[in-house]
This record gives sequence, structure tokens and C-alpha cells, in this order.
Amino acid sequence: MSLGRPVVIEARGLGKIYGIDRAPIAALKDISFAVEEGSFVSLVGPSGCGKSTLLQILAGLVPSTTGEVLVDGVAVRQPAPEKISVMFQEATLLPWKRVSDNVEFPLEILGMKAGERRQRAAAMLSLVGLSEFTERYPHELSGGMRQRVSIARALAPDPRIMLMDEPFGALDEQTRIKMGHELLRIWEKTGKTIFFITHSLTEALFLADIVLVMSHRPGQIVGTIKTDLPRPRTYEIIGSAEFGATRNRIWKLISQDDREVNGKGMASL
Amino acid sequence: MTIRRGLMILIVLGLWEAVRRFDLVSPLLLASPTEICGALVKSWFEYVVALRLTVTEILIALAFAWTIGIGAGMIAGLRPLLSETTGPLLSSLFAVPLIGWYPLFMVWFGIGITSKIVYAIVSGFFPIAINTMNGIGALDHQYLLFGKAIGCSRRQIVFRILLPMAMPSIVSGLRIGTGLVVIGVIVAEMLASLGGIGYLISYYRSIYATDHVYLGILLALGCAFAANCGLSLVERRFTSWRVMQIEER
Amino acid sequence: MKSLVLFVQIAFVTVVIGLWAAVSRIGAVDPTILPPPAKVAVALEALLRSNDFLADSLDTVIRVVAAFVIGAPIALAAGFVMGENIGVGRSLSPIFNLVLSVPQSIFLPLFVLLFGLGFTEKLIFGITHVFFVVAVNAMAAVRQVSHGQVMLARSFGANRFRIYRSIYLPAMAPQVVTGLRLGVIFCIIGILLAEMYASRTGLGVLLLRWGESYAVDKLMAATVLISVATIIINETMRIWEVRVGRWRNVVENR
Repeated sequence: MSLGRPVVIEARGLGKIYGIDRAPIAALKDISFAVEEGSFVSLVGPSGCGKSTLLQILAGLVPSTTGEVLVDGVAVRQPAPEKISVMFQEATLLPWKRVSDNVEFPLEILGMKAGERRQRAAAMLSLVGLSEFTERYPHELSGGMRQRVSIARALAPDPRIMLMDEPFGALDEQTRIKMGHELLRIWEKTGKTIFFITHSLTEALFLADIVLVMSHRPGQIVGTIKTDLPRPRTYEIIGSAEFGATRNRIWKLISQDDREVNGKGMASL
Repeated sequence: MTIRRGLMILIVLGLWEAVRRFDLVSPLLLASPTEICGALVKSWFEYVVALRLTVTEILIALAFAWTIGIGAGMIAGLRPLLSETTGPLLSSLFAVPLIGWYPLFMVWFGIGITSKIVYAIVSGFFPIAINTMNGIGALDHQYLLFGKAIGCSRRQIVFRILLPMAMPSIVSGLRIGTGLVVIGVIVAEMLASLGGIGYLISYYRSIYATDHVYLGILLALGCAFAANCGLSLVERRFTSWRVMQIEER
Repeated sequence: MKSLVLFVQIAFVTVVIGLWAAVSRIGAVDPTILPPPAKVAVALEALLRSNDFLADSLDTVIRVVAAFVIGAPIALAAGFVMGENIGVGRSLSPIFNLVLSVPQSIFLPLFVLLFGLGFTEKLIFGITHVFFVVAVNAMAAVRQVSHGQVMLARSFGANRFRIYRSIYLPAMAPQVVTGLRLGVIFCIIGILLAEMYASRTGLGVLLLRWGESYAVDKLMAATVLISVATIIINETMRIWEVRVGRWRNVVENR
């Protein structure tokens, strides 16, 4: 499933087991995939299948039990904030800091000087369209705006890779669609590699070049689908026959797995 | 609004004064505002000395109670295992009537300023520690992940993310603890002391000088009020974002 | 988890007593100030058999119970009325909150001045300690009774009594018990303080007297006894609080 670019993230046989001594729970099992530079990859799967765990392993926040993750050919064992940025479902903005200070915060930790920080933060906020809100506090902003600040913050260190864990999950549908467009615009402008986790089939397909489909816990990759839809993408594409067909393929993969799990009578989650 | 309040205060003061002027209440039971002021003017120096002692004791006790309380709360709060086991312990100990321990403190630390300060510190310690511990422990896991993801060291996570987030809890603990410290000092002075506002209140009560008793109590209340105001300043400085958040609602 | 908590509490007590014994043994502290645990245990046993001590203890207990038994029902009623009747609540509750935020103990000399040194003065002092905290909690408890549930019950034709019993009571119970628990604790504190300050009988007087005469073994024995008794009362009421709040499925509030 290649787009013809160098591989930037490679997962090999990732597995994660929790509670090894007591009642071991396998969250992930034998996950392998490759993400190419500058591509937009979505991961879609049912709730509780271990998507977040996978993302945390990719980010170096949590160690895997088996297998490894290579970024640029080097094994990931801890966070690499200059290279990799992470976004969560909640914006996790620091409520006592203004918007601009929030965006500057990762840069502060990385040791960037104040003047440079200010410039980058202003640039990123302008990129996400929030230049007028730099002096506000997070509680003054709507959910969508907060996530945009979060995107600006994730972009600030100019990472090559962005990992996103259902960043639009807490937003209403219309805001979600708008944010999706925004994200694609930013992605096309900056050329970063984006790994995007969602439980929405539509969102996964709409945004990505490649969709990885994950099974129930223990999470495994049950399918890799190349989206093959033209860019730039607009909302209308969701109504097209092609889109529908591809989405059905994804759905089949998921529900097949569902049937297998339920059919065998195992506890599904 | 403030005019209305000022007017109400004036009316109350007036009634208060009148009740005594017209001898509606015995001078033994109630002292009028003018009598209270008279007492203050008469014994001005004595009260200044006493106030200085009391305030010193309060400030020292506060300094210790705040640092030990917040420190202990932080240490306990940062380790879930620790907070889950010591939390209930602290809460149980908090119920103990500390006043019962004061005679023992007097034996251990003498009648002087030390026993009062120790008593006040212990009084204030529990709510501060408990609230700090809860504030830090209750933190959303995602913030910790976020801190790690951007490359924060453990120290940075604690001081730049956890602590500011926990500030509202810590401040509410400080509020309760500070109140208890102030009462602790004054009550200890009332029971066994050679100086301070509490001592004066007690002394004048024993000679039935009602005006002085009222004066002393008002001064004691003044200390409590001042401490509270000081705390509000701290609150504003460190948790203004929370105040704004609540106001928005 | 619960057993671990219990273990830690027991371990804490053991460690404290152990350190205490060790420090006494090596003579690091003046034994007139800190007698060894054994001596205190002996004193404790003697106290529990001494009629005088029991008489004083009874005095204290009677005062606490009387203040609570008189103060709590009035406070509950007052809190209930303040919560139900919005007008009354709005005018009175700021005053109540003000009183709660002001340290009541400071007023003790005034109480003595106004009411003298007898049983009445202590009783009233104790009652004020109970009253405000129970009332404020009762008011909060009433306020959070679900309006929707009440209307639903009324639509089923339930009479007033039924509504109070089946809806108000369970909804209010946890917070009311919290208030009562705090009321007992505050009452004990108030009575002890009043006894220490100006009384001829009671545990407070004994403690102060023993402190002044350096009868440290008796002092420590009595102090520990009172502390343990209060902890037991507190924990018992907490258990009640949790049991009564089980329907809430909320982690017990500490």
C-alpha cells in the first residue's frame, strides 16, 4: 500500500499487555504498518479497541510489551517533542495561560528564546485563523476554537509528524466537518505526516490517503484501505458513489470482526 | 449598592448606641460603640503591644502551616498509592478535637509563644494538606500525558502543570486552614498566656470590663478578617482564571 | 484497597507508639514531659476505674449530648424551612454563612460574661456550635431535592407526608448526616473549650489541671482517650453517611 515516499513511521509487531501479574489484558496484538512521509493516515476502529494505547506507544509515552516502533529508522522509547507532536480528544489547554502563552508553552520547554517563541506562536495562530484571540483565556473560547489553539500548539515546534487521538470527538457535527476541512488545509500547506485516530468511518475516509482498520480488543489491523479520492476534498465528496463504496468496505471489515467476536461468544469489550 | 449598605451599617451602629444610651441593656452585657472606642483610646498602647504579639504568632504559624501543609499534600498527592492510604488517615485525624491537646502542648512547649504557634500550626495543617492532596491527585490524566509528550521533565510537570491546576483546591484548603490558625492562636492565648489579644479578652472578662471584652473580640475578628483578605489577594493572583471561569457561568 | 487503608492506619499508630517507646527508653526526652507508653497505659487503666474521672467524663458527655439533642432538631427545622422557603432562605442564609465563617470560639469570653459560668452557658455555647453547621447543611440538602421527582409524585396523587418520606428523606439524608457529623465534632470542641476556660467539672478542666500540675501520664492518657473516642464517633457517623448515600453511587466525600 505505497504512495511512493520514504517511510517515516514503522510499527513492527506491536503488542501491549496490561496487568501482567494479575489478570492480563491484551490491548494490542501484533500491530504492523508503515506510514510514509507527508501522508495522511487514519486509524479507525470501535471504542475500547486500543487505539489510544497505540497512539501513546507511537508517541513514546508508553512502552510496548512486544515489538517496536521506528521513527526515521530509530526505535521510539520516549517522547521526541521536536519531531513528534501529539493531540488529544480534549484540547488540554492550560486554563491559567492565555492562548498565545499556551501555544508558546511547548516551545518554552524546548528551550526556544522568548522573541522567537512569540513569532512562531503568532504565525501558528494566524495559520489556524485565531490571530484576534491571542490574548484570550481558554474558557472564553468555544470547543472548536480551543481545538484550533491545540492544533496551533501542536504545530508550533514544527514537528514532522503529528499524532492525533480523536481530536474532534468532543465537537458537534458541523464544527467537526469544518475542523476537518481546516486540518486538510493546514496539512496541504505544511506537508506534515499526520496519523489521525477516529471512530468515525466517514471522517477517517474523508481526511486520509490511507485508512487502517482496527479490530476489537485485542486490537489488530484487519485491513488497510487506500482511499484513492481526489484532492482537495470537499464535503460533497461524501455523497459520491465512490466514497460510499469505500466506506462500505471499511464497514464490512469492522462488522465482520464484530460478528466473529460475538459469534464465538467471547466477551466483546 | 454600597450607599445602601453604608446606610444600613450606620443604622445598626445608631441602634446599638441608642440601646446603651437609653439604658435598655445593662452595661455588663453590652458595650456601646462609643464605650468601645473609649476603651481603645484609654488603653491604646496595651492593645498595640498585644496586637503585635498576636499578629506575630499568627504570621509565624501561617508560614509553617502553609509550607508544611502544601508540601505534605503535594508529596502525598503525587503518588496515588500514598494519597489513597494517607488520605483517609488525615481525614480521621482531622476530626480529633485539637483543643484537647492544648494542655499537653503547654507541658511540652511551655506557656509561651511556642505552644501557641505549634497549636495553631497543627490546627491549620490538616485542611491544607488534605485539600492540596486532593487537588493534585484529582488531575486529569490527559494533562500528564500532554506534559510528557512535549518533553517536560518530572519537575516541570509538577510545578508548571500540576501545581497551577491544583491551585483552586489548594486555596480553598488555605482558606479553612488560615481561619483555624487565627482562631487557634487567639483561643490558646485566652486559655493560658501572658500576652496577646486573647489574653486581654480573658483578663478583662475576669474583671467584668465589658467594653474591653467587646473591643478585644472585635480586634480578634479583625485579625481573622485581615487574614482572609490577604488570602483573597493570593487567590486572585493564582487562581484568577478560575474566578473568571465561574463568573462566566 | 479498604484493607490496605486499615493496615496503614494501624501501622501509623504502631509506628507512633513504637517511636514513643524507643525515645523514652533511650532517655532522649525528659520523662516528666514525656513519660513512656507503659506508664501512660497504667494511668489510663487507673483513670477508667476512678469514679472521679468517670464522673467528670459523664459531665462532659451530658453537656455534649444535651447541646446536640437540643440544637440539632432546631437546626434541622430551621435549615429545612430556609431551604424550602426561598424568601426566608435568601434573607437568612447570608447571615448563617457569615456566622459559620467567623470563628465561634472567639466569643467564649462573651458568653461567660453574658451567661455566667454554669451549665446554661456551656449548653448555649455548645448549641451555637451545633446549630449553624447543621442548619446550613440541612438547607443545602433541601435545595438539592429534585423538583422533577416531587412533581412526579404529586401527579401520582401522593400526599405531603408520602412525598416527604419517599423523596425528600432519601435525597436529603447524606448531606444531613454530614451536617450532623460535623455538628457533633464542633460540639465536642466547643464544650471542651468552654470547660477548659471556665468550669469546675468536666474533662476540659481535668486536662488543664493536669497540665498545670505536670501530671503528664494522666494528661496523656485522657487526651488519647478523648481523641480515640472522637475518631470512633466520627468514623461511625461516616459509615452511616455512606450507607445512607449509597443510592448516590458517589465516592464518599472526604
